[in-house]
Amino acid sequence: MGDRSTRLLWPVLGLPAMVWIALFFLVPLYVVFCVAFGTVDPVFRSPVPTWNPLQWQFDQVEVVWDRLFGPDNFYLPAVLRTFAYIAIAVSACLLISFPVAYFTARFAGKYRGLVLALLIAPFWISYMMRMLAWINLLQPDGLVNAIITLGGTIPLEVNWLSGKPYVVVMGLIYGYVPYMLLPLFAALDRISPSLLEAARDLGASGFDLFRRVILPMSVPGIVAGSMLVALPMMGDYFTSDLLSKSPNTAMIGNLINLSIATPGQSGQAGALLLVVLLVMLVPMVLYTRSNARAEVRS
Amino acid sequence: MAPSPRRPISRRRMLQASALALPGAWALAACAREQPLGGPTSAASAVTAPSGATSAAPSPASIPIASPSNPVKWPINPGNEPIASGLEPEANATLRVYNYPDYLDKAVIKDFEKEYAEYGAKVEYSTFNDYPEALTKIRSGSIPYDVTFMTYSSIGRLVYGDLIRPLNHDYIPNISDVWDEFKDPWYDLGWQYTVPYVIYTTGIGWRSDLIGVTIGDWPNPYDVFWDAKYAGKIAVLDDHREVIGMTILRDGGTDVNTGDPVALGRTRDAMLEMLSASQPRVTITGYTDIPEGVLALSQCWSGDMVTGQYYMPEGVDPTVLRFWSPPDGRGLIGNDFMVNLKGGQNPVLAHHFINFMVGKDVSLKNFSWVGYQPPLKALTPESMVADGYVPKNLASAVIKPEWFGVGYPILELPPAVEAEYQAIWQQFKAGA
Repeated sequence: MGDRSTRLLWPVLGLPAMVWIALFFLVPLYVVFCVAFGTVDPVFRSPVPTWNPLQWQFDQVEVVWDRLFGPDNFYLPAVLRTFAYIAIAVSACLLISFPVAYFTARFAGKYRGLVLALLIAPFWISYMMRMLAWINLLQPDGLVNAIITLGGTIPLEVNWLSGKPYVVVMGLIYGYVPYMLLPLFAALDRISPSLLEAARDLGASGFDLFRRVILPMSVPGIVAGSMLVALPMMGDYFTSDLLSKSPNTAMIGNLINLSIATPGQSGQAGALLLVVLLVMLVPMVLYTRSNARAEVRS
Repeated sequence: MAPSPRRPISRRRMLQASALALPGAWALAACAREQPLGGPTSAASAVTAPSGATSAAPSPASIPIASPSNPVKWPINPGNEPIASGLEPEANATLRVYNYPDYLDKAVIKDFEKEYAEYGAKVEYSTFNDYPEALTKIRSGSIPYDVTFMTYSSIGRLVYGDLIRPLNHDYIPNISDVWDEFKDPWYDLGWQYTVPYVIYTTGIGWRSDLIGVTIGDWPNPYDVFWDAKYAGKIAVLDDHREVIGMTILRDGGTDVNTGDPVALGRTRDAMLEMLSASQPRVTITGYTDIPEGVLALSQCWSGDMVTGQYYMPEGVDPTVLRFWSPPDGRGLIGNDFMVNLKGGQNPVLAHHFINFMVGKDVSLKNFSWVGYQPPLKALTPESMVADGYVPKNLASAVIKPEWFGVGYPILELPPAVEAEYQAIWQQFKAGA
C-alpha cells in the first residue's frame, strides 16, 4: 500500500505542471497550427482558423517557404542577420559572464549571496523598460554622448539610434546577459575546489587549469546559458524596434510581428513561427540528448 | 541496475495521447465564434446588399470602393435604422471612445463630461495602434465601444460588416460649422454614417538646423529619401500605403491606389533602392523624433510638425521645424471621421459626443492640442497662423479646401491588390 502511494506521489506532484503545459503551451501551439493552416476572411482579412486537421491547407507555409528559400527569398537576409546577431551576442554574453560567474563562485565568499542578488537585479525591471531607458541614454543629447564628448567639449556626436546594427546587438547583450550568468554560476559553483587544488598540485599552470579542468567542467553551464540566451533572442523583435526601427536591422521576430500586424497574413506569421520552432528544436534536442547522456555517464 | 534516464514513448502511448488531445480540438472548434462574414470555406451570416435585398455574405468584389470619381451612398441595413429624434441621452452612461493615442485632447473629454454632468456621463478613452487592430477588436464585440475614428480605407468594411450605426442628423446641428464638402463626401454620400474629424496631408518634416537645405526648393523634394547623404538621419512613415503612395508620386505617377503590376513592381524596386541608399528608419514618431534631433528629417503628416513644436528639447528654437507637402495640393491627402458603432450601448450620448466634437469651439481647442486641422469654416489659412494655431515656420502645414479636389486620397483596395501592397511592404521591412 505504502509503495503504491509513493508511486502515485510523484505523478500527482507533477500534475499541475503537466496541466499548465497542456493549457498554456500545447493548446496555444495547436491554435497556431490551425491559424497557419487555416484560411482568411475574404473581406476583413482576419485569420479564420481551421480546427479540423483534415481540412488544413498549406498555402501560407508555401508562401513563407518561397520567401525563405525560393527565388524571391527576401526573408533570408533577415534570417541570416538574426543568426549573426545572436552568434555575436551569445559570445559576448559568455565572455562577460564567465569571469563574473567564476569570481562569484570562487572568491565572493560570504558576499556571494549579495553579489548574486546584485547580478540578477536587472531582472527586477522589465526588459521593455530597460530598452526604453537605453533610448534616453543614447539620444543625441543623452548621457552617452555627453560622456564621450566630455560634456560637449569634443566635437563628436554619434547618432546611436539611427539604425545601427551594433546598437541592436548591444541591446541584446545587455538585455540577456543575466540569463547567461545564472547557469554559468551554477556550473562553476559545482566544481569542487579540491579538484582545482589537485590540478595545481600535479603541476598545472593557471592556463592549463582553466583549459583542462574548469572549462570542460563548465560545458553544461555554457551550453545551458547559451540556449537560455539564444532562444528568446530568436523571437526578440522589440530590441530592434526600439533601438533601431530600421528595416536593415530587422530580425526574424520583426518579420513575425509584422505578419501578425498585417491583415490577412496571420497565417504567414504562424507558418514563420513554426519554421522558427523547427529550427530551434534542433539545438534543443541535441541539448537534452547530451544532458541525458551525461547523466547516464555520471 | 541504474534506471534508464528516459523512457521512450511507445506507439500505444502516443496513440493514447492523441486520443486525449482530440476532445481538446473539439472544444476549440466549439469555442470558435461564427464569423460575421465567414471565411472562404465557412457558411456566412446574411447581410444586406446595396440594392437592399438580403443575400449571402458579400464577396470582396461586391463591396464598392468609394473614391472621388466613384462616390458611394452606403446601404442602411434592415434593423439598423437611425435612432429616433428627440431622445434624452442615456443616464449615468459610460461612453466608450476608441481612437489613436494622443489623438484627442483629454481636456476636451473632461469638458464633455462637465457639459453632460446632469446625465452623469462618463467617458472611457481606449486606444488602438492601427486600423486593422481596431477593426479586429470592434468586430470581436468584446468591448461595446460607442464612438471610433476611422478613415476611407475602412468605411466599406464597417458598413458591410454591420459594425456602424447610421446617424440621425437632428442630433448633429454643429455640422454647419464644417466645410460643406463634408456634408456630402464622396466616401459617404449624404453623410449617413460619418462626421469629419481632422484633415491632413502627407509630406516631409525636418529641422532646418540639421538639414541645411530647403527641401521644397528641390525639383523633386521626395528625392531626399533616396539621397545617401542623409543616411541614418531620416525616416519614412510606418504605414505601407503612405510609403508606397509617396514612391509612386516621386516616380511621376498620380494613381496612389494602382493595381497595375508593372507600376507596383517599379515601386517595389524604388523602395528597395531607397533602403540601400538612405537606410531610412520606419516610424510614426517623427513628431517627437525630429524635435529631439533623433531624426533630422522624416516623411510625416501635416499635424505632426505642428504638434512637434511642443516636444522641442530645452534650448532648441521651435522655429527650426519645417514641413513641406506639394504647395498645389497634388500630394497625399486625407481626413479621419467619427462613426457611431453599432455595438455601443449609448447611441444617443454617442450622437451628442460627435456633435460636441465637431462644434467650432471644442474643435479649435482640440486642434491646439493635437496639431491636426479640423475642416472648420471659421478657420482660414491666414487666421490659423495669425491666431497662433500654426506657427509661421509651419504655415505650409495648413490645408486648403481646394486641395481635396486635386490631392490623392488613399483608398480602400480590392483584397488581391491589398495583398500585393503588403508583400511589397514586407519585402521593404525585411531589410536589404
